[in-house]
Amino acid sequence: MADTALATGAPTRALKYGSIAKDRRWALRLSYFFLTLFAIFFLMPPIYMFITSLKTSAEISAETNPWWVFNPTLANYIELLTQDTYLIFFRNSAMVSVIVVTISMLISVFAAFALARMRFWGSTLLATGVFLTYLIPETLLFIPLFKMMAMVRDATGIELMNNWWTMIILYPTLTVPFCTWIMIGYFASIPKELDEAALIDGATWIQTLTKIFIPVALPGIIAATIFAFTVSWAQFLYPLAFTTSTDQLVLPVGIITTLIKGDVFNWGQIMTGALLGAAPPLIIYAFLMDYYIAGLTAGATKG
Amino acid sequence: MSKRASKLSRRRFIANTALASTALIAAPYVRGANAAGKLSIGFWDHWVPGANDATKQLATEWAAKEKVDIQIDHITSQANKLRLTASAEAQAGAGHDILHFGSWWVNEMADKLEPVDDVMAALIKLNGAVNPTVRYLGQKDGKWMAVPATTGSQIKGPCSRIDLMKQHAGIDVQAMYPAGGPPKADNWTLETFLKAAEACHKGGHPFGIGLGVTADSSDTIGALFHAFGAALVDAKGNITAKSDPVRQSLDYYKQLMAFLPQDVSAWDDATNNKWLVAGKGAMIMNPPSAWAVAKRDAPKVAEQLWTHGFPSGPKGRFAPFTPTFWATWKFSKNKPAAKSLLAYLSQPAAVEKMVAASNGFDLPSFANMTELKTWAEEGPPKGTLYHYPNPHNHQILSVAATPAPHAIAVQIYTHGLMCKLAVRHFQGEAMEKTLDYAVKELEGYMRT
Amino acid sequence: MADVTITRTGLPAEAGQVSSLQRLMRRKSTIAFIMTLPLLLVIFTLVAYPAFYSLHLATLNKSMVRFVGLGNFEFLFGRETFWLVVYQSCLFAVTAVIFKAIIGFTVAHFVHNIPSKGQRKWRGMLLVPWVIPPAMSTLAWLWLFDPSYSAFNWLLAHVGVAPVSWTGNTHWARFSVILVNIWVGAPFFMIMYLAALKSVPEQLYEASEIDGANWWQRIWYITLPMMRNIISITALFSLIVTFANFDIVRVLTGGGPLDSTHLFATWAFRVGIESGDIPLGACVSLFMVPILAVAATLILRDIGKRGNEA
Repeated sequence: MADTALATGAPTRALKYGSIAKDRRWALRLSYFFLTLFAIFFLMPPIYMFITSLKTSAEISAETNPWWVFNPTLANYIELLTQDTYLIFFRNSAMVSVIVVTISMLISVFAAFALARMRFWGSTLLATGVFLTYLIPETLLFIPLFKMMAMVRDATGIELMNNWWTMIILYPTLTVPFCTWIMIGYFASIPKELDEAALIDGATWIQTLTKIFIPVALPGIIAATIFAFTVSWAQFLYPLAFTTSTDQLVLPVGIITTLIKGDVFNWGQIMTGALLGAAPPLIIYAFLMDYYIAGLTAGATKG
Repeated sequence: MSKRASKLSRRRFIANTALASTALIAAPYVRGANAAGKLSIGFWDHWVPGANDATKQLATEWAAKEKVDIQIDHITSQANKLRLTASAEAQAGAGHDILHFGSWWVNEMADKLEPVDDVMAALIKLNGAVNPTVRYLGQKDGKWMAVPATTGSQIKGPCSRIDLMKQHAGIDVQAMYPAGGPPKADNWTLETFLKAAEACHKGGHPFGIGLGVTADSSDTIGALFHAFGAALVDAKGNITAKSDPVRQSLDYYKQLMAFLPQDVSAWDDATNNKWLVAGKGAMIMNPPSAWAVAKRDAPKVAEQLWTHGFPSGPKGRFAPFTPTFWATWKFSKNKPAAKSLLAYLSQPAAVEKMVAASNGFDLPSFANMTELKTWAEEGPPKGTLYHYPNPHNHQILSVAATPAPHAIAVQIYTHGLMCKLAVRHFQGEAMEKTLDYAVKELEGYMRT
Repeated sequence: MADVTITRTGLPAEAGQVSSLQRLMRRKSTIAFIMTLPLLLVIFTLVAYPAFYSLHLATLNKSMVRFVGLGNFEFLFGRETFWLVVYQSCLFAVTAVIFKAIIGFTVAHFVHNIPSKGQRKWRGMLLVPWVIPPAMSTLAWLWLFDPSYSAFNWLLAHVGVAPVSWTGNTHWARFSVILVNIWVGAPFFMIMYLAALKSVPEQLYEASEIDGANWWQRIWYITLPMMRNIISITALFSLIVTFANFDIVRVLTGGGPLDSTHLFATWAFRVGIESGDIPLGACVSLFMVPILAVAATLILRDIGKRGNEA
């Protein structure tokens, strides 16, 4: 499945349809034309973010061409990156995402292995159940969770509200089901002869997993890791509902709640903050695009 | 005028007693009890750059004097953060010793708050009386549950463009509200206002009055409802939406909205500011934050801005006033220290410092504190803020949705119900149908 | 079928070894259980339990001290805003998914058309909206739509079109919210369809070319039928995500003007968290369940197919 997405070399069709080359050229130009149009549509908001991030407030307020920067400045970047609060948001987001990714991968690799290879009573049902869980949106769960936190507090005295680490408990519900699902798919595509041989040779189940499955399914693990990271980095509802103090916020909520200050607006900084907040997933994506796409299409190419 | 005279004498009184009173109020609470200890404070994260420093300095000063360890947070009110913090702390029974409260929350969480009658009695003696709106919001069953905070309290009166108002509507707002003197605004009525709105609309610079669901929108329409004597719910909790004053108000808004920008029903608290700073409108209803931003980003616009009073209606001249509060929780471990700091923060010197640090945005609730130097001198144009704190008691300071019981009023306010009604009626819905909708919504607000 | 394998290897063994074989079996299921235990914990405590707990919450009164049965639902049914939210959620999800699918398919087709060495670059560019966290990218849209500083209106003014109040009136606000959703979601469809297009055997097209089929016929008779599974899974999956959307509406319009862009999720947040009426909020979000259930059942059918093939 990884191969499908990783393979960039689709057959070059121009050769095959040599007889209708003119048609092809025409179709090609048309394709490029429309692709350019779509690329403009798709890339305009981030580009506009970048343009605005280079402007001073005075230039933003002036009635000049909004699509051009007349006096570029890095002031917004400098101001944000030297501001404690923004760095705290960044740190919180990074901590939450890294820990959530680690937890999610540990949980889902083991569970996927058990579900894909160690068939036991109810394992098929459970595999389906895992996928169904992924279909329950967080927007359905945040209200009962809100109340449950009060229950936990009353019962144990542990305060879950307004703590960034509460996100570490909550985010796996968003990542684990899909990661497990991706990994089940990957593990299922590994030839059974491999682990059968290993088991006959006396390897334990754990050894089979670590020595054979994990190395072979590495592309899938990377894909799932990226997925988990992007989901944790982008999550907005849970932190919005469950954290309040400035030092407990993660980036998306931090930017929206602290940079937009009711009456006084500073769009240069807001756009800078948003762009920097979008940077980590974009950078990962730039380097690992193929794995990312493999992860996205994991379910599909099987279907 | 006798009023002026009495004010002067009161001010002299302050000057003489300020120092003595500081000691009087601050001393007994702390020194008598345990002097040391810890205190955590959640101040409002101020919009005006640098204004947080004032609260921080004052609290630190106090702490050094009283030898208390303090921890200061500045919490934003954006996206309801401060509000969610308050309810989380109320539920948890733990949190800051002093917290900044929005206008409506004091009553809502009153059973979790420590009464501060003693502090308020002393402060009123020192700084002058507070108006009924402050009492409505800050008292529960006649007891003070919180002290009105200087930071974050605001009057959202008109902020007009001097040039555009002259040019389109022929109104000289500076002459009507001269700096340093009493207003000459007898003709500044709702009819004049409507004509001015029409003229400015024709001139291409419509008034920017939001009709969304955020505070600015609710505040403006709340004051205009009061000017007609309209209330959706009366003090006893009866729904009075189907009454003539309400109908008059909605009809007035229907006329007014024709001269407002098309998308006012989606405006939030920042949209009107941008509208003014961008030079698109001749007037918005806002505290001086829009002027402050204009001073920073669009100085040419700022020079033409003038903050003044509301137009008067059949039942009087009302201006929207949203005092906010500082309060201490019942579960606070260091109440004496908390009360001492509460008193300290409202000493005249402290108030003056906050007002100055916020460029005049902050507003003390006490009667004798409306003529501070900052408002007289801030500019350009000089005196633009003179009338902001209502120095001549020219208008009645009210908060939207009163006199309804708090639990209902706050929902009318936060759901922007009056704005929704105005927009529905403007969009062509029959009056009675709109009022039916209002009744239905109000019944929902009364859920327990 | 790992267990079969083990039994087979165990078969020739002598009677004495059977017990150890059983032990092995037991150990295997024990290990498997331990391996899945964290997953089960997460699912049961943080997904299944809250889901059922919200059913309970929905039957309480506002202060959560009294059982009111279906009273909250009755109250909701009587409110105009509720029906508005139902209508908008459906309109929003269906419209957005249809356009996402159409745009995704078109773009995938164009990318597939160009020489393969350039495909990676285009694919990379076109997937960017999906990669940026929606709360961040919606901020950019919010700024593009700003009533006073809209960069779109600036462009429109240059071609002599009157400024549009993008988030200001009911129709435009709905349009804007859907547009942003399409913008975020279309690349996902594009990438799925592209993967599917690549799995359509080239010979089919060649054969049809010889038969004289035009491009439309090729799409209609070959591409679409071959991609049917992917199209339906992607659409259903997207339907769920779109239907339950929160970020975009929350940041862009906050539900306004006049509640005309509220979805179940944003309204539930407003009612449940911001107005402190947790039971009513729970009720509102529970209304997502029927639609989600239908979509889930349909997906499950397709997943079942996958299971058989695998």
